[in-house]
Amino acid sequence: MPRIAVAAPPIAVVAATVLLWWLAVRAFEIPEYLLPTPGAVLEAVWVERDRLAWGMLATAIGASGGFAIAAALGIAIGSILGLSRFLERGFYPLTLLLQMVPLVALAPILVVWLGYGQRAVIASAAIVALFPVIANTLGGMRSVDRDLEELFSLHRAGLASRWWRLRLPASLPSIVTGLRIAAGLAVIGAIVGEFVSAYAGDRAPLGMVIVSAMREYRTDLMFGAIGLAAIVGFALFGIVNFGGWLLLRRWHASARSSSD
Amino acid sequence: MMRAVCSTTALAVAISLAGCGDPDATSRGRTSVSVQLNWVPEPEFGGFWQAELDGVFADAGLKVELIAGGPSVPSAQLIASGKVPFGIVSGGELLSINERGGSLVALFATFQGDPTAIMVHEASPWKTLEELWRSDATVACEANLPFVTFLNRKYGGENLKLVAHSTALANFVNDPTLAKQCFVFAEPVTLELQNVPVRVFPVLESGFNPYTAVLVTTREHLAANPETCRAMVMALRRGWDGYLADPTKANAAMAKLNPAMSVEAMNLAAKKQRFLVEDETTRSHAVGWMTGERWNTLAEQMNSLGKLEQIPDEIEAIFWQPPVDDGPMAPALEDSATS
Repeated sequence: MPRIAVAAPPIAVVAATVLLWWLAVRAFEIPEYLLPTPGAVLEAVWVERDRLAWGMLATAIGASGGFAIAAALGIAIGSILGLSRFLERGFYPLTLLLQMVPLVALAPILVVWLGYGQRAVIASAAIVALFPVIANTLGGMRSVDRDLEELFSLHRAGLASRWWRLRLPASLPSIVTGLRIAAGLAVIGAIVGEFVSAYAGDRAPLGMVIVSAMREYRTDLMFGAIGLAAIVGFALFGIVNFGGWLLLRRWHASARSSSD
Repeated sequence: MMRAVCSTTALAVAISLAGCGDPDATSRGRTSVSVQLNWVPEPEFGGFWQAELDGVFADAGLKVELIAGGPSVPSAQLIASGKVPFGIVSGGELLSINERGGSLVALFATFQGDPTAIMVHEASPWKTLEELWRSDATVACEANLPFVTFLNRKYGGENLKLVAHSTALANFVNDPTLAKQCFVFAEPVTLELQNVPVRVFPVLESGFNPYTAVLVTTREHLAANPETCRAMVMALRRGWDGYLADPTKANAAMAKLNPAMSVEAMNLAAKKQRFLVEDETTRSHAVGWMTGERWNTLAEQMNSLGKLEQIPDEIEAIFWQPPVDDGPMAPALEDSATS
């Protein structure tokens, strides 16, 4: 498919949305403290570009750190739970708690435990990003071909060898799916963590910029910072997608079809 | 007070006082109005509860619904957009939101002295706000608020580490080196009752002293319902007079709605906030009284701090208040006010 045909639909949808947004503000005379125009948002982003660039960097570091921890822990926990139904039944409900926990309520406690700064932000991002990795890893481990498992048993393969040579590769498509979900969630977790634990100043992360702008009724800057947080999420998602494609392209249908 | 605990309930709680003293209010044709508070029930709103319990709102022809606020409730936007006819904001918020298309008008300023303060542990080395601000301490505060910029301009603050301000007190209690933004009669009272000794530096002593807990409405609502607005202000003055004379009844009522704050804490807070509610101006006029000079000073300060692009041309137009000797309160029935 030509590149233009791939890029055109999302560009058209975004352009139409921005146009409708602008028309709505103008037609209904919506005051700036409720909704700024797209132009005002772009102007605020340009005027505050240095502060927002540092903010993006800080948020990207927090989200990436949380994502990396969630990925490593999630794959490890999912793999261990995949070893036996007993372990799964025992511990899976506990991992579900991670999904149910209201992070906004938990975040202030993380600051008490870990102090102000990136540690609490990374922990916040890791907590929300962990569950999809565990769930998808476990799902992948549970769907390994039975015949291949028996083949490994015939050859008396050890646990480590079985995991490395069979279960992990077989679970990769499922794990990559979990990591994709976790990438977006990690940014949300980082922003929530920043609301309560970030340092202020010229290099404050986007969560802090959003809170400050909200308190000053700077909706233009607030929308700009939210948009940039979404871009951080897209970037992390893109990196995971690319990594997944690199891992799967030679043998899995999902990667082959997307590269065709 | 106990904002950490309260915050979890604040979003969900809407407290209707309507009919507390008179279950047959609607049959007597009172004008229904709602007031969006910017926090949960606590002594800074004592005058509202006193006015209801003493039947002052009813005498004024008003049936008042008080809606609790919280840290995530956009009170100022709700009022400015006309979703509620009355509400509580700070003086700085009024100027900021008006510059961005709002049309808020101040009717009653609860605090002549801004209760905003910075608290430190009593064992900490800082004896004054200036000492603290010139140090390399870590301060949990709303870093972009005008008072922080004001203190930075006045005292430097280059070495301070400003961190996110949350309503929770656990951080502060656990960290003897941390300084934290507070209200002089709120968090310090809670900590005092928990035997956590603190030293409190009121920001107003630095020269930045905006009106706080200001009752506002929109210009459009005031123009369409002047009698309702007048009745509300007159009733609130009487409510505050009653609360200042004896806050125990209203505090008991508020404590039932705010389980995070005991009656004991409310009584102590009421005592501590008194000097911020009353001053020479209120004694010579009425509680809640505002002056153009004070509003102008705030606008000039915010402008010089880069928080306000322009000083309003007609500063007198941003506040309205009935004269002190405005006669007995007349029921506000001729207006078309609705909640």
